[in-house]
Amino acid sequence: MSALTLTLKYRPDQRVDMSPLSCQHLLGKEPAEIAALELQSGKCKLRVDQLFSLSGFDTQSLIIKNSFEKLDFIGRDLEEGHITVEGDAGAYLAMGMKSGQITVTGNSGLYAGCEMKNGYLEIIGDTGDFLGGALPGNKIGMKGGLILVKGNAGERVGDHLRRGMILIEGNAGDYCGSRMIAGTIAVMGQTGRYLGYAMRRGTLLLWNPPQLSASFNDCGLHTLAFLPLLFTAFKTLNSKFAENSVAFNRVQRFAGDMAEMGRGEVLVKK
Amino acid sequence: MLIKLSNGIVYDPAAGVAGQQRDIYIKNGRIIDPPSDTVPDQEYNLHGKVVMSGAIDMHTHIGGGKGNIARILLPEDHRADPVERNSICRSGCGHAMPSTFVTGYRYAEMGYTAGFEPALLPINARQAHMEMGDIPILDKGGYVMLGSDDYLLRLLAAKKDQQAINDYVAWTINAAKAIGVKVVNPGGINAFKFNQRKLDLDEQNSHYGITPREILQVLATAVKAIGVSHPLHVHGCNLGVPGNMQTTLDTIQGIGGLPMHLTHIQFHSYGTEGDFKFSSGAAQIAEAINKNKNITIDVGQILFGQTVTASGDNMRQHANHKHASPNKWVTMDIECDAGCGVVPFKYKDQNFVNALQWAIGLETFLLVDDPWRIFLTTDHPNGAPFTSYPHLIRLLMDRTFRNDVLATIHPEAQRMTTLASIDREYSLNEIAIMTRAGAAKLIGLKDRGHLGSGAWADITVYTDNSNREQMFEKPDFVFKDGQLVVVDGKVVATKWGTTHTVKPDFDPSVEKGLKDYFDRYLTMKLGNFKMSDDEITEDGRGSLTTHPLVGDLA
Repeated sequence: MSALTLTLKYRPDQRVDMSPLSCQHLLGKEPAEIAALELQSGKCKLRVDQLFSLSGFDTQSLIIKNSFEKLDFIGRDLEEGHITVEGDAGAYLAMGMKSGQITVTGNSGLYAGCEMKNGYLEIIGDTGDFLGGALPGNKIGMKGGLILVKGNAGERVGDHLRRGMILIEGNAGDYCGSRMIAGTIAVMGQTGRYLGYAMRRGTLLLWNPPQLSASFNDCGLHTLAFLPLLFTAFKTLNSKFAENSVAFNRVQRFAGDMAEMGRGEVLVKK
Repeated sequence: MLIKLSNGIVYDPAAGVAGQQRDIYIKNGRIIDPPSDTVPDQEYNLHGKVVMSGAIDMHTHIGGGKGNIARILLPEDHRADPVERNSICRSGCGHAMPSTFVTGYRYAEMGYTAGFEPALLPINARQAHMEMGDIPILDKGGYVMLGSDDYLLRLLAAKKDQQAINDYVAWTINAAKAIGVKVVNPGGINAFKFNQRKLDLDEQNSHYGITPREILQVLATAVKAIGVSHPLHVHGCNLGVPGNMQTTLDTIQGIGGLPMHLTHIQFHSYGTEGDFKFSSGAAQIAEAINKNKNITIDVGQILFGQTVTASGDNMRQHANHKHASPNKWVTMDIECDAGCGVVPFKYKDQNFVNALQWAIGLETFLLVDDPWRIFLTTDHPNGAPFTSYPHLIRLLMDRTFRNDVLATIHPEAQRMTTLASIDREYSLNEIAIMTRAGAAKLIGLKDRGHLGSGAWADITVYTDNSNREQMFEKPDFVFKDGQLVVVDGKVVATKWGTTHTVKPDFDPSVEKGLKDYFDRYLTMKLGNFKMSDDEITEDGRGSLTTHPLVGDLA
């Protein structure tokens, strides 16, 4: 079956809420019905075929072509299926995603993978702030699944992260792992200031030495047997994380944030 | 224009009309006597429909800083309940603490035409009035909060005479544009700032040496002396503390026969019996209410589900913060003069304490004999959002339904309540008293809450339905000041209600001491603190209605 392909015809001035196009809402719908769905854009409602030309019919395999940074809420609450975004994605990409897979060839905006429950999100380019975070005011961010970012991530990666893994091949901004409840964040590039700010539990895995605040305690050098197992789990990924050369098991361990529960750890490659 | 509402079954307790077929005529926004010959311009045939005046919520937190703090604290409450705009209504959002416009629409859609904010902090009065000024359709008003303000406590500590207190109270009512006086955890909000974490009725504020009992006495005396109809509105000591029933009984005794309104009494009616050291004191409280005719109460019923508690009682809110659900909370000082605590709450029917709280509220409703002295509230949003009133009315009016719900709550709580043995069912007339006539009388509104000639035409028309929840959540028609605003439970037109106030007299020299105090200690100057009438009316949609004092010729 050929994937349902939506090709953007023009770039609207206002942002577009793409949540009605998550695969679970399209199940069993004919292309004509999908073309007639309405998307909120600013204060207007636009029909899908006003914005996109449609081809293909497999609603569980969606391709969005010519995508740009104002297409928000792509794959919101995705329950199954596969979405490929060719180009950039807007804010709230894969928000609340429950299962399935989303790949973005370009960059994505704020709150990618926000409050994601499960599934796999891959961003080939860069991503904005609050990757895998919680919506403002909410207490629990991403709860499960895997996010892979090949470029750089913005600030507040994994804010209120509860479970799941965030892998970043590039750099992460300030406040990486802030208010983490649990879960794992791995950053191959540089991290910014206030790493692990108010983190309770969870693991930050780093290839480069971070700037740590005074509320993290140095726990010395360790050889950790679980790290090879973790890197083995990355083998199936199409990523630098799968390469043998990046793996390590010798780390310097820091515990914090002592201003919070203090049971989080920062593991830095030695 | 003359409007005739014909053949409705009218409940107008103020006139002793309980379910008789009557015609009602409306002209220029008011109800008039049947005209002799004029033909009505509009006629609604209400044959078989139930007609009451618009309902009045005499205790609902709809204005003031704590509402905005709750809104900021709970964005998820807003995200989960968006309301789209339409050609008549503006957009809004919110379940537990809705936006101002949605508050007005939802109240009107249940047949309510007035709501009174019980915690109008004097120093925040302007903000509260501006916020209530954005609530469409409803009439509104506020009870100004005193009792933990440093100035009053200084007066008491300096042993100033009652006249000085009276002047200060009257001056504050005028400055804040209020219709009554409320006291919250008398002296406790202040004592919290001196590191006291509890304050019993006879316990001294560690700094001023003043007890809550003294504060209640001087304030109740002042309210009576300056002629305010609404009795001192009291949120007592020890809210939510097991065993606080005794505090409440002592408070009733301690007021010495002065008029006093005890608010959300459900939260103040707890005993310490049973395995969990938490039991119902509703029977003893109800007995005391029945005996002491100077006391009125509203219940503050809790209903199960998510809500947020917003209170000036920072002492008790601080103590309750560990129950916050979701786990976030705010306790703060307000401009060095008052306090505030906002704690989100999820009342659960399978939680013993919550289930028993639910039962205690209902026991109180059913054991207090006189519906003129008890009022239907959930202390919105503290016990439940006001949108749950129709459900609450059904619990009161339908014993079978009540017992069905009772059978589903925490089993230990079922054993600790006498609710199943109470047969009483509220009648429509008693509901009309509690939510209309009684409330208007308590607040001192002469031309609201009844359907007599001269009253403003705030009228609600329901279709009689044995399922009282369905009946009360969707009135057929609601008229506000004679204008049809709701049809079939949906807003069809909006207008602006008035702000009810009283203006008691005071000796102008009271400002001398106050000016020094403001200059030395407070965040604003005396001249800015006082609200002028223009601030409410100058936008062209707000208006002020000043009610006569007790003893004045109406």
